[in-house]
Parts: sequence; structure tokens; C-alpha cells
Amino acid sequence: MRKIHFPTVVLIALITLALAIGLSGCGGGPTPQISATQPPAKTQAPQVTEVIEPSAPPPEPTVAETAVETAAVSESNSITILIPEDPPSFNAVVGDTGYDALVMNLVMLGLTGVDPKGNVYPELAAELPTSENGGVVVDEEAGTMDVTWKLRQDVQWADGTPVTADDVVFTWEAIMNPDTGIWVRGSDYVDSAEKIDDYTMVFHYNTIYPGYLIQLGGEQLVVWPSHYCNADEGFTAWECARQPLSDGPFILNEWTVGDHMTFERNPNYFEAGKPAIDQVIVRTVPDESVRKQMMMQGDADLIMWATEPVVTDLKDKPGINISISPYARWVMRLFPNQAAKGTTDPDASPHPVFSDVRVRRAVRMAIDVDTIANEIFLGYGKPVWSEFYRPPYACDVPRPQYDPDGAKALLDEAGWKDTDGDGIRECHGCETAKEGDLMKVDFYTYAEYGEPLELTQQYIAENLKNIGIDSQLTIYEGSVMWADPESGGIEQNGDFDLDLWDDGYSGIDPTDYLWELYYSSAAEPGNGWNIVRWKNEEFDALLDEAYSLDEARRKEIFCRMAEILDEEVPVIMMFSTINADAYATRLQGIQSNINDVVSWNAADWKVTQ
Amino acid sequence: MAQYIARRLLQAVLLLFVLSIVMFALVNLAPGGPLAGQGQTRRVRPERVAMLKRQFGLDKPLPTQYMIWLVGNDWMRVDLDGDGKPDEYGTRRGVLRGDFGFSFRTRKPVLEEISLRLSNTFYLTVVTLLVAVIIAVPVGILSALKQYSSFDIVATTFSFAGQAIPEFWLGLILILIFYAWLKNPFTGEPLLPSGGMYSLGGEFSIPDRIVHLVLPVTAGALGWIAWYSRFLRSSMLDVLHQEYLRTARAKGLKESRVIYKHGLRNALIPMVTMFALDLPYLITGAVFIETIFSWPGMGRLYYQSAMQRDYPVLMAILIISGALMILSNLAADILYGFLDPRIRYD
Amino acid sequence: MTFALGKGISTSKTDQRGHARGEGILYMVWRRFRRHPGAMAGSIVLALILLSVIAVEFSPYSSDASNMAARFEPPSWAHPMGTDALGRDYLTRVLYGGRISLSVGIMVVAITLCVGVSVGALSGYFRGWLEPVLMRITDAFLTLPAFLVLILLSAIMREIELPFFQRNNVVTIALVIGLLSWMTFARLTRAAILILREMEYVTASQGLGASPHQVIFGHILPNMIGLLVVEATLELGYAIIEESGLSFLGFGIQPPTPSWGNLLSNASEHFIKHPWLAIFPGLMIFLTIISVNYIGDGLRDAFDPHKVLKRMGEV
Repeated sequence: MRKIHFPTVVLIALITLALAIGLSGCGGGPTPQISATQPPAKTQAPQVTEVIEPSAPPPEPTVAETAVETAAVSESNSITILIPEDPPSFNAVVGDTGYDALVMNLVMLGLTGVDPKGNVYPELAAELPTSENGGVVVDEEAGTMDVTWKLRQDVQWADGTPVTADDVVFTWEAIMNPDTGIWVRGSDYVDSAEKIDDYTMVFHYNTIYPGYLIQLGGEQLVVWPSHYCNADEGFTAWECARQPLSDGPFILNEWTVGDHMTFERNPNYFEAGKPAIDQVIVRTVPDESVRKQMMMQGDADLIMWATEPVVTDLKDKPGINISISPYARWVMRLFPNQAAKGTTDPDASPHPVFSDVRVRRAVRMAIDVDTIANEIFLGYGKPVWSEFYRPPYACDVPRPQYDPDGAKALLDEAGWKDTDGDGIRECHGCETAKEGDLMKVDFYTYAEYGEPLELTQQYIAENLKNIGIDSQLTIYEGSVMWADPESGGIEQNGDFDLDLWDDGYSGIDPTDYLWELYYSSAAEPGNGWNIVRWKNEEFDALLDEAYSLDEARRKEIFCRMAEILDEEVPVIMMFSTINADAYATRLQGIQSNINDVVSWNAADWKVTQ
Repeated sequence: MAQYIARRLLQAVLLLFVLSIVMFALVNLAPGGPLAGQGQTRRVRPERVAMLKRQFGLDKPLPTQYMIWLVGNDWMRVDLDGDGKPDEYGTRRGVLRGDFGFSFRTRKPVLEEISLRLSNTFYLTVVTLLVAVIIAVPVGILSALKQYSSFDIVATTFSFAGQAIPEFWLGLILILIFYAWLKNPFTGEPLLPSGGMYSLGGEFSIPDRIVHLVLPVTAGALGWIAWYSRFLRSSMLDVLHQEYLRTARAKGLKESRVIYKHGLRNALIPMVTMFALDLPYLITGAVFIETIFSWPGMGRLYYQSAMQRDYPVLMAILIISGALMILSNLAADILYGFLDPRIRYD
Repeated sequence: MTFALGKGISTSKTDQRGHARGEGILYMVWRRFRRHPGAMAGSIVLALILLSVIAVEFSPYSSDASNMAARFEPPSWAHPMGTDALGRDYLTRVLYGGRISLSVGIMVVAITLCVGVSVGALSGYFRGWLEPVLMRITDAFLTLPAFLVLILLSAIMREIELPFFQRNNVVTIALVIGLLSWMTFARLTRAAILILREMEYVTASQGLGASPHQVIFGHILPNMIGLLVVEATLELGYAIIEESGLSFLGFGIQPPTPSWGNLLSNASEHFIKHPWLAIFPGLMIFLTIISVNYIGDGLRDAFDPHKVLKRMGEV
């Protein structure tokens, strides 16, 4: 043993081992990939010529010709999209991150889609079913309805198989499978899905459901191929959500998990001449400042969901445009718990501070929403004070004033006064707490939003301090805030005094959302998201009535609801945050869409030189 | 010696078992759960919660969950459709048979998730450690040999500085300097890329790989270089002052032979064992670097899984790291036994 | 603190080699330390830092109150470190953050010293059945992947409401970090004790009837002081970096309480446009740790047991 230089030998062995491991990591190019099924010979670039029909002159000949000329993908007709995290799969309703919706829109189609203005448009559907065209048949007495969908007949999967009603029914049944399915909006209301013929199917509803148009469409739901997806694997886990078979504008070429995905143009896409782009690369770059840098250097063409700081930094840069939605979905709001912290019954154990509506109104008056929206959110925050702020159900509710003095007076009136001069009020004749109790609250928000939300929390805490309410700040992960009751979820268990987070509904129909947030039985833990534990009979009755197809009546109902919410202040709404996407000027056709994600119209995008 | 190794291995297995229970408890103790609405929908519908719990196996009591994690449930009947009656056999085979379950976030097998990222992390950390060792060893030795010379003072200063700089800060500063401020004089592009393992769309090329490695490796290796060079220096100094070197010199051996044959070998012993103890870094050490430089690796996977309470992935990474640490401890002790004749295990 | 060096050592003014004897080990250590330029520089810097984090009490600015008109101002005479995203004076916040980070560091050192030295001493001195049990426990803790477990632990501790610990205050974080770092001290102590207990003066005093308590605290520990002090300074640096890293990821000290780590984390969003937000906290961490390391190095040289023992004529 002493004859051999052991340390040297050991060192050499270690180095060799290390080299071996290291080389295994970089040998042969990218790590094990998931490559999409290559359809037999149809997607080779030269075959692009098949798509161009010489008889029908395309409206934009330049685009089609470029597509024909490039046999290999040239850099000039390829775009790069940046996202902060890898999509877990292509099944957006399971992953629910938004980035899965981004890539899902590139390869899959739903029955319908929703445009930025809230209008539903048909995708796979040949036309939208309505009562007028007989697509929707309502049985008033039984309170049920049937919606018949007629499909386009010219859409194919990338392997040549046509998209039929089989696929629609298959998708729905996979969703509804109790073992491996998922809950989607409208699940409770659909009794069954029935195929009538190859291109016609019916949804049988057990109630009058106004949201039927996006039953299998909109932001997260698409139609999956029945002959390719394996029902045994289950809707939530099937492999075809990692290696999708495409009927959309693009086809997945390769996916290096955690790093990037490459898509190429689908030559058999049903809209002639589209897409105009040959290659889409989606890159995962977790650091926001790095994403910004990449846009500025021209290494990327699109940042999805650009935040306020990114927008501020990029908007004046040459070569970069910002697309901002006129209305935003996410509204920042405060949730004052009306049940005592740690309990969920506002009648048995009312909250000492927030069960008094005057206190809630005072808090609303004390918050300087404009400063937050203009300074912390860089001018892109838009004050919103009612759930009914966007068309088609915008109601006229007067804006609450920023009035700290009025807030102080209201608190005095409610019996909260500061007698010992420490800046914090105590209960002196208040209705909801014991004499002498301090006005102190635990104030929470969530971590994943980032710094602007933290700053907002600190600033609101100052506003509250200003009117004599003391708060203790904490930041939790989302997985703790919104966990189910048994897992210790803070919201569900009422383990908070005051919470700050953003919420909102997508699409045009707020009915389900209103139920979840404000209906009285949604206050039971595990049953809904009425985490402020507010109960109002009139509101409940109105909401019950809102499940109808009578649009005029619904509008009336919603505006009355707006008044109730404004008086009772169960939730203090403040401002909406930006919904924007940043893109390079060479990329045209980008429209931000709060009812979907930016790739909703990827088929229409073009690259100019 | 063989007996010693056998005994240690047995202890290692027991330790790993205990560790797995502790980790399991820790992971489940953390408040919150994987069912929380992440991403778009904050609010998860109650129907979905019940369904998800069944699918994730979270509706069972904790000890049962642990047992299923360990030995699987394909030997017992499970209630799949929530009607309270067990119908089919389960599909989990358990960790003891190599099945780490499936990720809550992606529904894919955990081992698949990990293996997709493991080689990326190895690639980065192995290169980092290699670079660190290659630089640290000669610097440490030279520093010791020329103690208090200007080389030593500069090297020591750098090593102190290197240990004092937080990795995450260094990463950001490097990006600031080399990506945002400095440009390549020939092309006008940024001097170095800001992240990723390689440029997309191109062929496999070593220069491209190297260019993408420069910043992450620099940020990661600096601390190691500082640490190892200082360690080696002090270890070398200890050895240099020992009596037996004096004896060797008195015997008339050449100075260099004295140093390298006797001194260095003994100075390297602690370092080799130190190095063995640092091996677990290869898998999970680079959390900050991976996040800042967009490196698709294990560190980021752990962080993401921790935030979202993806229990199976967390458990798998923790157990694998734990196993690696136990093994590397054992390797270090055995190595030490081989290398240092003064140590005897019985 | 008096060092009982054991009986049987001459007390003449010079030792066998003619070196002058000073007042004791402390003085000798100090003399050697003084000759170490890096250590002296480090001490001065650290003293300055400590002074400033105490003196920030007198800052004219508040560390919490926002001032929306003055957001993101670069360094100036009014604000030597500029202002942050809410217009707060950054120097004030950085110094308060220093208070927090240093408190965490010192507390971690205290915890790891107590726990680690006890475990090490017990197992190294008494051996018997205690040693393997304690050593196995130490090994078990050593095999935990520290940083990963830290993340989990701080997520758990965030929720626990014990009477003394508020959520994620200094004590909780220090406890969590300390829980995973005491092992170095344990091993070190045990190794040192294993060697020291064989020393002649120890066996001498044992022969003279000293109790284990007297031997450990009177003879062994004093001679390990050097080792412990050096390791403690390293531990301080380590603890500060761990806390910064945790806070950087969002798991450590919670805003609005500043700590160097979470200041850096908030700065990472703006550091390209407002680089001072990232430079200063990182600089403070750097200066603190490098001073601490230099001090540790100086102490190591000063306490060199070989030299100390030589001076006592033992070697």
C-alpha cells in the first residue's frame, strides 16, 4: 500500500469518474427529449407545397410564397417566446399554470374560443349554437336544456385522421371519469354527452346553464384525439398531453424538459395559408431580469404576461411593442374575515374587528389606491371597485373615495378610539369586541406574485396604521394560502384576519365565480371560497335567479348585486393589474387576451423583416 | 477492514430508513398541500379536491401513506372511484422496488422528472468542481510552500474574498457585467450568454457549450476554489512543520522529494476526505446558480416542488441526497483509513 | 478567566528556554493577533459594522415608513445608499438589516456552540455507551442535505405559534439554521478531546483526584478555546450566508423586516436599473464575512496550540 501513491491514484480515479459523468451529461446533444409523434411523411418541409392551392389565389401571396420558398426553417421566420417556468404538460386544465395554455393553443383546438372583447367564436364548431338557430333547446318546465354542436368537417389531426364528434365525446367522458378525471366548469350541470353523427353531438344539461358556449372551449379546454389518447391512462395523466397529436396551427417538434420546446408549422392546418410562421421556440427562463435583457438584445420575440416593471422598461425600447388588454382579469383585493380568526362561523364567533360593516367601510376609505396603482404598479394598475366593471355586465357604481379623515371618524363612531395615545385604537363601546381590545390584525399575502405585492402589503399596512389599525405582516406560499381545509389551508380554515391577493373571473360570465366567492353556502370550509364568511339572503336569491338565459334580467340582477356588494363591502376591491404581453415589432398580430392567453390567435401571427 | 465496511453498510441502511421516516414527517408537516390552486385558479373546487386527494393517495392516514410509499400498494385492493369500496389493486410498487411514485404537478413518474434534470445538474456541478479543484490545488500548495510571499498574500486574500461573496449575488453581478454591459468587440452581441446550457437550433458544438458554461461555473466555483485552496494551504502548512519532514531532510532527501512524496501526500488526505464529503453537492448544490442562469436542473426542481408541496418529488430528492451523503461519508471514512496508516478500524 | 494549567509547572519568570512569561495565554494570543495585518483590519471593519448597526437607532429616517415621492433615488448626500422601492432610506434599512442578520449569526453560533460542544465533550470524554449513540445521532444529522431541509423546516416553523417565537423572527431562523449546523462543533470537540485527554497534565490532574467536571472545564476546554473560537468565527460567516440565502429564496426573514438576504432578493428585480439596491446589501455581507474570516485566521495563528504548548515548555 505504501508503494503506490495512493492520493495520486485516488485523485486520478476521481477525476476520471467525474469526467465520465460530466461527459455523459454533455455528450450527444440535448438530454433525453420528448419528441412528438412524427406523422408519416406529411410534415417534411418540402411537402408544404401541398397546402397551397394554385386555383384559389391566397389573399396575401407574399406570405404563402415565403412559406413555399423556405425548404429549411430560416431564422427569419422563426420566433422565440419566453416563459418563466416549464409547462407541466399540454393539458392546461390539469396544470393550470397558464404556460400550459400557451403551448396548448399552439397545437390543439377547442370547440370555441373567446376573443379579447369577450365574444365567443367557433373553432372546431361550425357555428355557435343558440336558441335562434335551434342549437339550444330549453325545456322550461323541467328546467333542463340540450345544446347541439355541429363540427367543421375539414379539420384533421396531424396523422390525417379527421376530427369528429367521437373525439368530443371521448374528451368529455375522460374528463368526467371519476377515477382519473377532473372537475371543470359545468361538470355538475351536464348529464351526458351524446354523439349524433360523425360531426354532430349533444350535451344534455340538467339545468339552465348560461356558460354553455365554452363547455369545451375557451382558455383551458380542448378536444383530444380519441384514437391517439389512451383513456386507460386517464385524463389527468395521459401521455398524449406530453406528446400531443396536433390539429392546431403548429406541431410539437421536440421538448427538452425544463429548457425549451420547438414547434413547426402544421401544413395541414385547416385555415388555408396559415400559420405564417414556420417555427416557434418556447424557452424557459426563470429570471425576469434575464428575460427582459433577452428581449432588449433581440434574442426573443415575445414575453408572455409581462409584469408592470417589464412593461415600463421595455415600452420605449426600439423594436419592442407592448400589447395591453383594455380590461384585466386579476383585481387586487382585501379580504377582511368576518369570522374570528381560526373559526369559520361568523354568527357563532364574529370577528372582533371586521364583523362591523362600518370598520370595513372605514378600511376601504383609508386605502390610497391611486398611489399604489400609479407608483407601485407603475401606472398600469387601474382602480376597480366593483365586480361588475367589464362589458357586457358593467354596472354604474360610484367610486369609493380615499378619505382617511372620514375613515377615522367612522371608526370613532363605531366605538374604536385610541385613548392611550400609542397610535392603535382600542374598543371603547364597539359592538363586536371586548372593552379595551386592541385593534390589531394579522395581515397576510402570498409569495409567488413577487415584490410589487409585498410592497403593496407594506403600503396598505401603513395606510391602516394611519387610521389606528395595527397589523402584523406575513407572506405565505400559495400552496399554504389556498390549500384544502385538511391540509391546513389558511383561507379555508379562516386562519387570518386580513388577506391580500388578486382574483377575478375569465371569460364573460361571472355567475359561477360569484357563487364561489359570495354565496352563503360557499362559506363552509371545503365547499367554496366565501372565505370572508359573508352571508346575505338577498344576494343569494338574486344569484339563484341569475342561472338563466334571459340576458336582460341577468343584467338587472347583476347591477343590483353590485349595489349590495358596495354597501356591505365583504371584499374590498382596489385595482386591476396589467394583462400585457411584450413582443418584438417584427412579430405582428399579437393581441393580449384576458379571456385566454396570448397564443389564442397564433395562427394569425406573421413575421415581417 | 471488510468487517468494518460491512458493519458501516448495515448502519447506513438503518440510517437511511430512519432518515426516510424523518423526511416523510417533515415533508408532510409543512403546512399547505399540493391541492392548493396554483397558477391560474386560486380556488380549487371541492369536488376537485376530493378527486385529487384520492388520485394522490392523500386521503389515507400518514403511516399508511408512508407504507405505500415504501412498499407500494399493488398487493392490496384500493378504492379508486371513491365509493368507499376497494375494487382494484393499486399500481404503486414502492420505493424498495424502485417506484418513487408520480409527481403531483405533472403526473409523470418522479424518476422520469428527476432523470430529465439530473444529467444537466451533473454536467454543471462536475465541471464546477473540476475547475475548482484544478485551480485550488496548485494555488493551495504554492501558498503553503511560499508562505507569506506576495503570491500567498494575494491568493489568501482572494480566497477570503471568494468565501465571503454570496453565490446568488455574484451570479447577478456577473450577468450585469458580462451580458448587459460588455459586448463582444467583433459582433456587438453580448459578450456571454445570460443562461441556458446551449444555443437553440444549432448543432452540438463544444465552443458553444463552453461559452454557456463560463458564467455559471465562475459563479459556482469561486466559493469552492476559495474554500479548497485555503483548506489545502493550512493542511499543507500543518504537514510542513511536522517532525518527520525534518527527519526526511536530515536523511538527505531532495527538498522537492520531501515535499511531494511525504508532505503533499499527507496534506492531501484531509482534502480528499473533504472532497468525498462534498459529493452530494453534485446533485442538489446548485439551487441558486440554476435559478439565476436558467439551468434546467435538480436544484430548481427541488425549489419548485417545495413551493408547491409536490411531496413525491421532494421525498425522492431528499432520500437520494441523503443516501448520497451517507455513502460519501462512508467513502470518506474508508478513504481516510486507506490513506492514513495511523487510523485503524476494528 | 483564569486558566488552571495544572499543578507541576514552574512559575519562574522565564521558562526553560529563556522566553519571558507574560500574564497568561490571553496576552500571548493578543500579541500574536496584533501582528496579523489582515486580522487587525478585519477587526476594525467588523467593529465599524457593529457600531453602525447599533448607531442606526439614531437615524433620522424610519426603516418602515414609505415616502412615495422619493422612490428609487440613487445615492446622494441626503441618502448615502439611495432609496428603495417605497422611498425608504436604504442606508437605514441596510443597517437594520445588518442588525437582523448579525443577530441571527450570533445566535446560531451560540446555539451550535452549546449543543455541539456538549455533545462532543460528552462523547469524547466519557466514551462508553454514550459515545456511539451520540456519534450516530451526529452522523444522522450530518447526512441530512442541509439546505434542502432548511427550506422545509423554515416553511414548517413559519406556521408554528409557540409563545416565544413569532413567525420567522430571528430566534426561529437561528434555531432552524443552528439545528443543522451544530455537528461540526461536535466532531471537532470530540476529536480535540480525544487528543487532549491523553495529555500529561490531564492524566496528572486525574491522578491527583480531579473530578471529570474539573478536568473538562479546568484543563481540556481552556486548551480547546483556540479551536473553538476559530471555528465559531467561521460558523458566524456561514450562518450569515445561510440566512441570506434562505431569505433570498423567500423562506427566511419576512419583509418588511429587512435582512441583507431579503433586501438582495427584492433588489434582484431592479438591479439593472437601480444597481445600488443590490450592491450595498451584498457588499455588507461581503465585508462582514471577510472581516470575520480574517479575524478567524488571525485567531488561528494566534492560538496555534503547537506554539502555545511550546511556550509552556510542554513540548
